[in-house]
Amino acid sequence: MSGITLQTVRKEFETGDEHVVAVDDVDLEIRDGEFLVLVGPSGCGKTTTLRCIAGLEDVTDGTIAFGDDDVTDLRARERDVAMVFQNYALYPHMNVRENIGMGLKLSSSMTSAEIDAKVQDVAELLGIEDLLGQKPKELSGGQQQRVALGRAIVRDPAAFLMDEPLSNLDAKLRAQMRTELQTLQHDLDVTTVYVTHDQTEAMAMGDRIAIMNGGELQQVGTAEEVYRSPVNEFVADFIGSPSINTFDATVEGATLHGPGGFEYTLSDPSPVEGRDRVRVGIRPEDMTLVDDGVAIDTTVLEPMGNENFLYATMGDQELTLRVVPSARPSPGDTVEFAFDEDALYLFDANSGAALKTKTDAGAPLVEEPEEPEVAE
Amino acid sequence: MAAPTSNEPLSDPTVRDRARFFRQALSRRLPGLGESGVGYVFLLPTFLLFTLFLGFPILYTFYLSFFRFEGVSDETLLWIDLPGFEFQLTRIAELEFVGLQNYTAMFTDTLFLQASFNTLFILLVQVPLMVGLALLFAVALNASFVKFRGVFRTVLALPVSANLVAYSTVFLLLMQESGLVNYLLTSVGLPAIPWLSSSFWSRMTIVGAVTWRWTGYNMIILLAGLQNIPQQLYEAAEIDGASRIEKFRYVTVPQLRPVLLFVFVTSTIGTFKLFSEPVIINSGGAPLDSTITIVQYIYQTAFIDFRLGYASALTYVLIFVVSLLSAAQLRIGGSADA
Repeated sequence: MSGITLQTVRKEFETGDEHVVAVDDVDLEIRDGEFLVLVGPSGCGKTTTLRCIAGLEDVTDGTIAFGDDDVTDLRARERDVAMVFQNYALYPHMNVRENIGMGLKLSSSMTSAEIDAKVQDVAELLGIEDLLGQKPKELSGGQQQRVALGRAIVRDPAAFLMDEPLSNLDAKLRAQMRTELQTLQHDLDVTTVYVTHDQTEAMAMGDRIAIMNGGELQQVGTAEEVYRSPVNEFVADFIGSPSINTFDATVEGATLHGPGGFEYTLSDPSPVEGRDRVRVGIRPEDMTLVDDGVAIDTTVLEPMGNENFLYATMGDQELTLRVVPSARPSPGDTVEFAFDEDALYLFDANSGAALKTKTDAGAPLVEEPEEPEVAE
Repeated sequence: MAAPTSNEPLSDPTVRDRARFFRQALSRRLPGLGESGVGYVFLLPTFLLFTLFLGFPILYTFYLSFFRFEGVSDETLLWIDLPGFEFQLTRIAELEFVGLQNYTAMFTDTLFLQASFNTLFILLVQVPLMVGLALLFAVALNASFVKFRGVFRTVLALPVSANLVAYSTVFLLLMQESGLVNYLLTSVGLPAIPWLSSSFWSRMTIVGAVTWRWTGYNMIILLAGLQNIPQQLYEAAEIDGASRIEKFRYVTVPQLRPVLLFVFVTSTIGTFKLFSEPVIINSGGAPLDSTITIVQYIYQTAFIDFRLGYASALTYVLIFVVSLLSAAQLRIGGSADA
């Protein structure tokens, strides 16, 4: 077991005349036993980064180390990592027992009896001991997923690498496997790098989250850090569901003028000093419906049971609000909203770099209905 | 007619409707066939041609194998003479029933046994050699580092388009006592090989010729099979710690199994049907009948000696053996899921 260190890792592809930089000088330190989630939109380089760690891709530049060992030039089979692929990549001609035992057969000196015993243990751990004699095509998606996990676990590898392992499962099974995977990783205490495009999955599972975009690493931090203190507008937009509302605003002294009738005077104008334009960000959960706030026009109301999603327009700017279930404006109704300055995000109008992030007390992210009561 | 033009999509359903009306009218007029039965009416031409040119010969050959052919008959079986229409069905042949005699005679027929041995010999050397070579080329061409893959693929597959007689003749010339191959051998100090005059080497010449012609064809099939193997299986094997050879053994071979099986079965059948090459290269079995093949012997028996009954029996035995071998290959190769 060991941590993983990436130093200015760069991966370029040549496809015909096209020159693609898939991974752009990524520095990343993954701690021993940590569950790190690489997240980002498709094509952001997260899977390529994972494949570089696995040794399935050669890096163009930079180094990768497991603990103190530089593994940059080692082949995948020499790196002692286990990988779970998105579509599992089980050997179709082998039964579950052979699939799980293959790694041990190829890369350990264990006897077949020892391998069988180990496979049996892992199968029991995953609850698939009844399936050992079956072929992958006889199994359901969830069962195949477990076999793929079993194949990774059985080898006691230095690291688990998982490439969107849950994306082929239905929503319910995905949620179930998510907790199971976390429990498993916690018990085994093996360094894990997990790739996903689903920010909810990333937030829920990762000890830390690494957000990538366009081949570049944007930010690494815990779920709360990247949610509350994103380094730029991209991270703020990517993390959180529904996404943060962002719009352009002009600055006049301490006052922000946005689309529609949006106007807000900052009590602390230091972040906008010397600027005439900024990007404003307000999370849907930080907006409350009031009687004397910013006027917006309701377009759609989505009742979720425990909360309502309110879609509205402010001038030509579309907004999403997360409101209490008792708030039920009809489409076309004009409502007004307010927010705390503590919850406001401000970004540089050109680079998107964060100027101000959330500084409120933090804890009540979901128990949003309580906020107005506190205000009163 | 302003309305239909503005409503353009109408024309399409109308054509479809008309086809449906026709089909329904047809099925009404042909009671018992039903909706689905009409389909068979459309297939009728194929069935008729099949019956006439394949079904009838297959059955008649079986019938013939229990008779001795005595000559062509001019006896009339059926004669219809209507105004403007005359039809006469004659007996095909003068036959004498001999029971199983044609079948039992084979086991003491030394030439048949020799032909069987030759065919089997060529089969056992040629098929593994060719499939092995085809697999080697396919794997090499499938490797990602090969440049000009398309060119190599075309060049390797080209021989299959060669005319049977033309390429056999070229082989005949190349393998002459004083031909190009022996010239090359002797020029590097090796002894000349009696390619056409020794029993062993003449069979090897056939093996070489057939292998040259069909390796590329089988390579294309195997290459297609290789390209269908998901890349991720190789990656999973790499992560599992497999070496290049282990990947071939644990991923390529099992994944390629159905394709390999197809190649083996079709090649086996092809070699059993070997005819043109030995006829041209070894002018009909020379030296000393050591290259005569079963099909060649059947041809000789049927169309030179005119022993049609015996030739029919030989044909059925050949079919039986080929079927048996193919079934065995399918049983062995197809048992496990691929």
